Amino acid sequence: MVSEPLLRVEGLEVAYGEVQVLWGLDLAVAEQEVVALVGSNGAGKTTTLKALAGALRPRAGRIVFEGRDITGRPAADAVRTGIVLVPEGRQLFAGMSVHENLMMGAYARQDGMGAIRQDLDWVYELFRELAKKRGQLAGTLSGGEQQMCAIGRGLMAKPRLLLLDELSLGLAPVIVDRLVEIVTRIHRERGLAILLVEQDLNVALAMAGRGYVLETGRLVRSGAAEELLADEAVRAAYLGM
Amino acid sequence: MNGSSMGRRGAGLILGAVVLAALVLPPFYLSGYWVRVITGLLMYGALASAINIMVGLAGYPALGNIVFFGTGAYTVAVLMVKADTPFFLALAVAGVVAAVYAALLGAAVLRLRGAYFSIATIGINHATSELVTNLDGLTGGGRGTIVPFFPGSIEAERMFFYFLMLALMLLATGTVYLISRNRLGYGLRAIKADEQAASVMGVNTTRYKVLAWTISAGLTGLVGGAYAYWLAFLEPPYVFDIVMSVKVYIMAILGGAGTVIGPVVGAFFLELLSELIWGRFLEAHMLVLGIVVVLVVLFVPRGFVDLAGRLARALAGGSASRRAEGVRSDG
Repeated sequence: MVSEPLLRVEGLEVAYGEVQVLWGLDLAVAEQEVVALVGSNGAGKTTTLKALAGALRPRAGRIVFEGRDITGRPAADAVRTGIVLVPEGRQLFAGMSVHENLMMGAYARQDGMGAIRQDLDWVYELFRELAKKRGQLAGTLSGGEQQMCAIGRGLMAKPRLLLLDELSLGLAPVIVDRLVEIVTRIHRERGLAILLVEQDLNVALAMAGRGYVLETGRLVRSGAAEELLADEAVRAAYLGM
Repeated sequence: MNGSSMGRRGAGLILGAVVLAALVLPPFYLSGYWVRVITGLLMYGALASAINIMVGLAGYPALGNIVFFGTGAYTVAVLMVKADTPFFLALAVAGVVAAVYAALLGAAVLRLRGAYFSIATIGINHATSELVTNLDGLTGGGRGTIVPFFPGSIEAERMFFYFLMLALMLLATGTVYLISRNRLGYGLRAIKADEQAASVMGVNTTRYKVLAWTISAGLTGLVGGAYAYWLAFLEPPYVFDIVMSVKVYIMAILGGAGTVIGPVVGAFFLELLSELIWGRFLEAHMLVLGIVVVLVVLFVPRGFVDLAGRLARALAGGSASRRAEGVRSDG
């Protein structure tokens, strides 16, 4: 890769108080690329996404987005630079309706109601079940619908890079298939760059072209999706398969 | 649809006129005792609306919010006693002082959440009360201080404080209305629902929380300043009274935290109850307050406004299903 990637992370280290969970992580995501971050529980995947979204402040290392060093700026600014997190466990605004949740996604946008309406129509077209329930309180949706609402809310922020954390968590396989299909469609239609975190290797690599494998906070392997899937060592050692 | 929305607007106008008349007319007809009682209701309505900005909109249990009441009260007292400041100027300064105090504290304390934030506000209230008590030369300390009396007849005084508290209540409630309908209000609701999600959606949570607390404190400080002039005698335990703070908090919850009118309804209800019934239970009124709190939490956790809404929907739903049955039996 000769040209500057969309996102470049160098030597990222993150600690919760005394406990360090990321040790010198390097990774890159190119324009329009879908990249997976996989690994077992406690490997540091969610921590990585939170650091990228500004929800955690790194102890060391650099985060470069579109050629600009954005290390350590707060979460509210991350959205404005185009990095949008769809958090683990959805974290919807339970007391707000589906529609209000989606509009909260557009909270930081400056490009006018016309563009926001267009994106809203697009989100409702992607997730038809949400269109039917736009007035319903988000806390009363099923798990799958909540995940759709969370992805929709993320899309409403008009991301340049979408961070998807544990898309499949706690959902039935049928729903996961549906979500994988929609994420693939989002990528195809908008050419959106996506960095996704998954415990389920098959789900992750069904969407991503490339992957990184994390183990206890260190990068241990990276490569094309099919290479990683075929790698017996990866499957056995890091993913318990 | 046009007809019904116009009908609704007409009904709204009539309701508004009735409410306005009900608020403006009492001091012209009622006895001095009742005017004083209602002035107290209006004051608690203002305080409950002010705390609602933190508790209802932002979801931060500012249990010690009474600190800004005391701060406002003492600002007015000190300015009027020591500097011969005219009342309205002193009142304006009281609002500003309380707001600035909250802004300075907020940067540190609003990092805490839930019960921790609550405890911190109670601590701040105690510390401020101690400070005022020990600044003897300025505040009169533990002996208290006498604020200049209202220069006019008893009737004029009664009118003055009635309409002053009414104006402050309308200001506080109007502020809640405006906030809940603009960008700040949406940001605060998001913070209340999930602070981390709000921040990753682009809400500058620290700035919004500090702003909300500053506004809440400014309003509370204004009411405290008005109270100082009304009461004409101040002592730290009167105006930094945590029991009063808890009462205001309960009023907001009881009426409906986060709604515009709920806290005012809760304030009127609880104060009127206290005036009518607790006057006869002087020994046990804290017991009654405690029982009311337990009953509220058990039976109307979302407040009167929500309860009224649910009842209205249930009644409307009931009559609609009866109509539907009627149609079926006719067919």
